Amino acid sequence: MKKIMMTAAALALWAGAARAEIKVVAASSDLRYICERVGGAEVKVESLASGDQDLHMVEPRPSMVYKLKKADLVVRVGLDLDMWVDSLINAARNPRLFYGRPGYVDASAGVPLLEKPEGKVDAAMGDIHIYGNPHYWLDPANAKIMAKNVAAGFTRAAPDKAAVFEANYAAFAKEADERLAGWAARMAKYKGLKVITYHSSWPYFAARFGLGVAGHVEPKPGIPPSASHLEGLVKKMKAENIKVILTESYYPRKGPDFLAGKTGAAVVTAAVSAGGTADIKTYFDVFDRVIAALEKAAAKE
Amino acid sequence: MKKIFLLSVFLAFTGIAGAQEAGTPPQGMRGTALNLPDISALGNITGYLSDDKSDTGRNELGIHEVETAFQGYIYPEMRADIILAIHKHDGSYESEICEAKASFMNLAAGLSGEMGKVHIDFGRVNKLHTHHLPMVDKPAVLTNFFGDHELAGQGATAKYLLPFLPFYTQFQAGAWTVAGHEHGVTADHPEDVLNVNGATVSVPSLVHEDADFSPAGKVYTARLNSSFELADKTELELGVSGLKGRGAHYEEHKDNVEVTGADLTLRFWPSTYQRVTFQNEWLHLKRAVPAGTLHRDGFYSFLNYRADKYWDYGARFDYAEGAWPAISYERSVSAIVTRHLTETSYWRLQYKHRNLDGRNVSEGWLQVSFGIGPHSHELE
Repeated sequence: MKKIMMTAAALALWAGAARAEIKVVAASSDLRYICERVGGAEVKVESLASGDQDLHMVEPRPSMVYKLKKADLVVRVGLDLDMWVDSLINAARNPRLFYGRPGYVDASAGVPLLEKPEGKVDAAMGDIHIYGNPHYWLDPANAKIMAKNVAAGFTRAAPDKAAVFEANYAAFAKEADERLAGWAARMAKYKGLKVITYHSSWPYFAARFGLGVAGHVEPKPGIPPSASHLEGLVKKMKAENIKVILTESYYPRKGPDFLAGKTGAAVVTAAVSAGGTADIKTYFDVFDRVIAALEKAAAKE
Repeated sequence: MKKIFLLSVFLAFTGIAGAQEAGTPPQGMRGTALNLPDISALGNITGYLSDDKSDTGRNELGIHEVETAFQGYIYPEMRADIILAIHKHDGSYESEICEAKASFMNLAAGLSGEMGKVHIDFGRVNKLHTHHLPMVDKPAVLTNFFGDHELAGQGATAKYLLPFLPFYTQFQAGAWTVAGHEHGVTADHPEDVLNVNGATVSVPSLVHEDADFSPAGKVYTARLNSSFELADKTELELGVSGLKGRGAHYEEHKDNVEVTGADLTLRFWPSTYQRVTFQNEWLHLKRAVPAGTLHRDGFYSFLNYRADKYWDYGARFDYAEGAWPAISYERSVSAIVTRHLTETSYWRLQYKHRNLDGRNVSEGWLQVSFGIGPHSHELE
């Protein structure tokens, strides 16, 4: 009996080892969701940033180094939004994760970029990203590109599971297409709706659904609003009858509330990532909530 | 099985496995058509007020330091960082190789190394460049035991992330040649003496007790630091450091030096932009001179609250004994306000009340620090 027990235990250990998951560290909670969808049971994913964090401002910590040290794959947002990932990869000294190695996945690869600066770029322009606007995940159509990059990374890590990843990717892409069609239908009646956004986070979303971003609460990316800038926005909003202000949940409400008070516009506060608020569990929930909030704001109009 | 294998081979050549594009390169690998390294410049403008009339540097405003950095990869997983500085030292500007190092980021799994001139990784603050400090001045214990500048050595260090532990732990050890003060302490104390012909000449004097003390010569260092994620947004970092070497003026003092240190940092992020940092560092200096062995202690405790994306409020308490045979100490409290403009630029106000052996001194600073270009440092 003892022998049988020991053999069973050994077999269980062997089976566990044989079924090793791919350990993945994603920079954002949205990437974590996409990784989980594409990897399914074959992956174990941790996210460095939580959904309520501003990805520009994540502070690298030793505990993050520890996560990367053990990882088979790192999946980053790219486009300089998560520059803090560079120092973490260097500190972790995990040879699989260095730039160009099989375990390095930049989810932005192949995404059609908006707001690519031309000519000289410097801090007088605010916090400009030299490769283009990095908030590309807010166009749900880009989810398929992100997922494809992730699937390619998983396939490099476990070529024998390629069929699984391909099937998971196909299911994710199908759902993304179906959801996008639904959102597009709901947003069709708001085509041309002008909005003010806090930061330049929404150009991909606006381009996808035909919204017009008429201005930002920040005078330039990353620069806090001044009184004169807000006064200028008030005039613009009144002149152009702009009635919606769209702001990320982590930005201060003072500026948007001031504008709303002066113009009667509705402030739509939206989380931009999964986990940004308690009721936003998945990447797709982000769009469900923001579109519902925009519909509500427009209906109030 | 055969089908799955063939499918995976097919995918590997034509399908999703080939879909990965390079993406955007990390810092230090941006490159250009000219293959230039990352080039950046930093400036530190400081205004300093003090009611200590014996302080010759008081009531001045001007550029305190400029730093240029050239950073890039020289080989896969090998990078070079060259940081050159011109800074004000006792009223005049001196140029210095701040750091110039080659980093071997992947010697083996978990093992990396650095060679060249490096800010020695001792405790929490010494390795940081001035513009990365969350305060204008360095804590008194560091200036008393390591001198006015960061303790930097020419040599090599190896760093190893310990495996099999369920938390972050790194051990590192280094061997260095440390120059006492490369700006020439002796030149600051000339004396007129008669030469063999009976003429008066000015020569550097012997070093006096008011000169900077720091370890120098052959210096060996080690550090062990760990980090514990206490909760989702709470991190505790603990470290111990050790150093063995000689005093900067060994020829005169014949002093062998050991410094040990312990540090504790607790960081807590209550919301997206808010952060509370409680950082503490204690150092003990053991200085063996022919007449006996001196033991000196010092510590600082720093509490900082980042209220939002732009504002930091800090307070620091310092206690530090002097490194010289005569017993001296400093107790001080500081209040610090920082307004961040960008990731690399900020302005800062700091007030410090010092008690120097019972004598009270009030000091104030205005600091404007700016960065141009993609200057970066490793994880700090």
